[in-house]
Amino acid sequence: MQQKIIAFANLLRKSGMRVSVAESLDAFVALDELSIGDREIFKDALRCTMVKRSDDIPTFNELFDRYWSAFYDQLREAFEQAGENAGDALDIEALLRAVEQGMEQLPPGSLDLSELAKVLLSQDLNALEQLIRQAAREAGTEKIENMLQIGFFTRRTMEQLGSEGTGEQLRSLAGQLRESGLSDAEADALLAMFERFMEALRRSVRNYTERELEQHNFDYMEKFRRESLLEKSFYNLSEEEIRKMREVVARLAQRIKNVLSIRKRRLKRGKLDLRTMLRRNAGHGGVPFELLFRERRKDRPKLVILCDVSSSVANVSRFMMQFMYSLQECFTKIRCFVFVSELGEVTPVFKDKDINDAITKALDGGDVINVYTRSNFGQAFHIFWRDHLAAIDNKTTVLVLGDARNNYNDPRAWCLRDIHNKARDVLWLNPESPSAWGFGDSVMDKYLPHVDVAEECRNLKQLSKIVDRLLL
Amino acid sequence: MFQSVDDVIQKLGQQDYICGKDIATVVYLAAKLEKPVLVEGPAGVGKTELAKVVARATGRPLIRLQCYEGLDEAKALYEWEYSKQLLYTQILKEKFAETMAGATTLRDAAERVGREDSVFFSDRFIVPRPLLRAISADEPSLLLIDEVDKSDPEFEAFLLEVLSDFQVTVPEVGTLEAKHRPLAFLTSNDAREMSDALKRRCLHLYIDFPDEELELRILETRVPGIEQRLAEELVSVMQRLRKLDLKKTPSISETLDWARALLALNARELGEELINDTLNVILKYEGDIKKTQGEIGRLIARRSTGGESEGGDTGASESPAPSSPPAPPASSVKRGVLH
Repeated sequence: MQQKIIAFANLLRKSGMRVSVAESLDAFVALDELSIGDREIFKDALRCTMVKRSDDIPTFNELFDRYWSAFYDQLREAFEQAGENAGDALDIEALLRAVEQGMEQLPPGSLDLSELAKVLLSQDLNALEQLIRQAAREAGTEKIENMLQIGFFTRRTMEQLGSEGTGEQLRSLAGQLRESGLSDAEADALLAMFERFMEALRRSVRNYTERELEQHNFDYMEKFRRESLLEKSFYNLSEEEIRKMREVVARLAQRIKNVLSIRKRRLKRGKLDLRTMLRRNAGHGGVPFELLFRERRKDRPKLVILCDVSSSVANVSRFMMQFMYSLQECFTKIRCFVFVSELGEVTPVFKDKDINDAITKALDGGDVINVYTRSNFGQAFHIFWRDHLAAIDNKTTVLVLGDARNNYNDPRAWCLRDIHNKARDVLWLNPESPSAWGFGDSVMDKYLPHVDVAEECRNLKQLSKIVDRLLL
Repeated sequence: MFQSVDDVIQKLGQQDYICGKDIATVVYLAAKLEKPVLVEGPAGVGKTELAKVVARATGRPLIRLQCYEGLDEAKALYEWEYSKQLLYTQILKEKFAETMAGATTLRDAAERVGREDSVFFSDRFIVPRPLLRAISADEPSLLLIDEVDKSDPEFEAFLLEVLSDFQVTVPEVGTLEAKHRPLAFLTSNDAREMSDALKRRCLHLYIDFPDEELELRILETRVPGIEQRLAEELVSVMQRLRKLDLKKTPSISETLDWARALLALNARELGEELINDTLNVILKYEGDIKKTQGEIGRLIARRSTGGESEGGDTGASESPAPSSPPAPPASSVKRGVLH
């Protein structure tokens, strides 16, 4: 049993859950306290000791069913079928009883049955399951890697079970029983039944092997899917993926907030504020009953986001905006502008709308700009320089999202230079890789001198790294 | 404390808390293994209630620590009563002078004051907060740390220490060890994920929205006066409602509130208009209410057709609802309610 639980814990780990040794030990202790006859309780006990994240519960449930019960059920089904097919007048139980009686009459020592044969005759499926598992372990079935090996491992497991010898023993048992007074019809039925048993056994072993393979593949697939969402390029996302991604972004944002709250707290309490304290405690005759500390001023940056919302970078903009607005309380103020060739402010949209609706609206131009034009970064920066330069002071971080594909228009890099001079820093996130910057109609190279940090940002992983650095 | 999992179900049931085996197993194990339980789940499914009920069922006093942002050790564990200490020194000034009398050097005086240290750093001046109270209690208690996700990660690290060995060190007094390990319940709304270290020390329990049958049983236990048919209708509407994409999905506590409201209004059955009027009991956002109003027709319509087919299957154990003939559902139900 312990071995089975350890193997199960390994399986959970492989599918991306964090199950520590201490937790599998807890599982042992918990099971000691319970009667594990009840499957549901058994499952709950394993879950509450080993699975600590509610997100993992569905995966756990699926793996549990695969690992623990399904094989036994299959085994039972296979042998029930074998029993039903007995057809004829003789039902399986009567036959087995007859065998039992017959065996008692046989002289002791005349028959030498293997473990497997005994289990088959007594129809003890629990014991049979144990035997199969053990044989499979000895056959090395857990090393199975692909479909082509199913036959091989099935055969090896059957060999380990000693199936051939057992078949022989059963046949000879039928023969012996026939001699000791079983009718021909009964003996034939018995032989047929033994055949069916062996067939059911073969099928069950094969099923077990397949199951083993499935378990191996299952977890890898899961893991692969989860990781790839983080690394998937923003360029090609389906609706479904965008929805899933939103949740991932929300989680990442929450994590960053946690880290920030630790960083902030360390700084929170300042020195004793002697002057105010004395004044406040004057009523107590100058005895300082109330202590007062100076509060440190929080240094929260202001943020101005300039988002290119042309179709090529819309997704980067989408998630960046979600990130930033999820982290709103980390900034004194966020202003958000969108542009394609004209530039307009969409900050108000975020005020009275649910965040996801607001982002959708902002990406659509937010009623302030026309999104169905060709990108013109020069003009957008010029408009910002003309109308909004006053919004920037030395506490402001300017974040530009765009691919800098300017359609051969004038880059007007001097606008960005002026912005850069006034702002605390200017960051540029570009969904294209740095090797493409400055080629074709990309004017990234013209803007680079006026940018403090320029980063490639093509997937969530990169995005979250940048956000984290931004807030440090 | 509990004999078996079924015993847990029964004992909690006596306190009007209806739960399935999943919850009972965890409670049973927590009591057996003396491990804290981290209870997660959406708001209003009875996480806090579970702790309260276990306290009542086991007869343990409940000590509650409500977490919030900025909660620190001083509020959770203990605090020196600074003003009281100061007050004492003020009152005892003359006594001090007596002690000091005869001290010739500064060192001597300081030495004498030092000897009286323990007077000022003793139990007398400690204000015990919930955690310390749970640890130093003379009888076994139940510690409820509510909404632990609202606390700061820093506090969580501190909590780890307490939860792993149930002992606390007060530098001036020494280490206090729990006389009886309290049963600890931590609840979380998943506002943020708790650290792995904390989770490792706890048993984990996720309480989800109950299924229809369980919800009905809970409703009938908690709101005894309700008619069975109304209860069934109400639960089925709630179950459907949860499938809509709402900002705040209504929970068990909303079901109970709603049932009580309907009872107070003397309602006998749920109609479109009635739902419309009482929607604000279960939905807390304007947007959610608007969204649902468009769906009410469908909510009831599906219910009444579903009810018909079920009635047919079971051989009409229930008298067919006179006011909601089968089709076409929406309009007929509305008419039914008007009279």
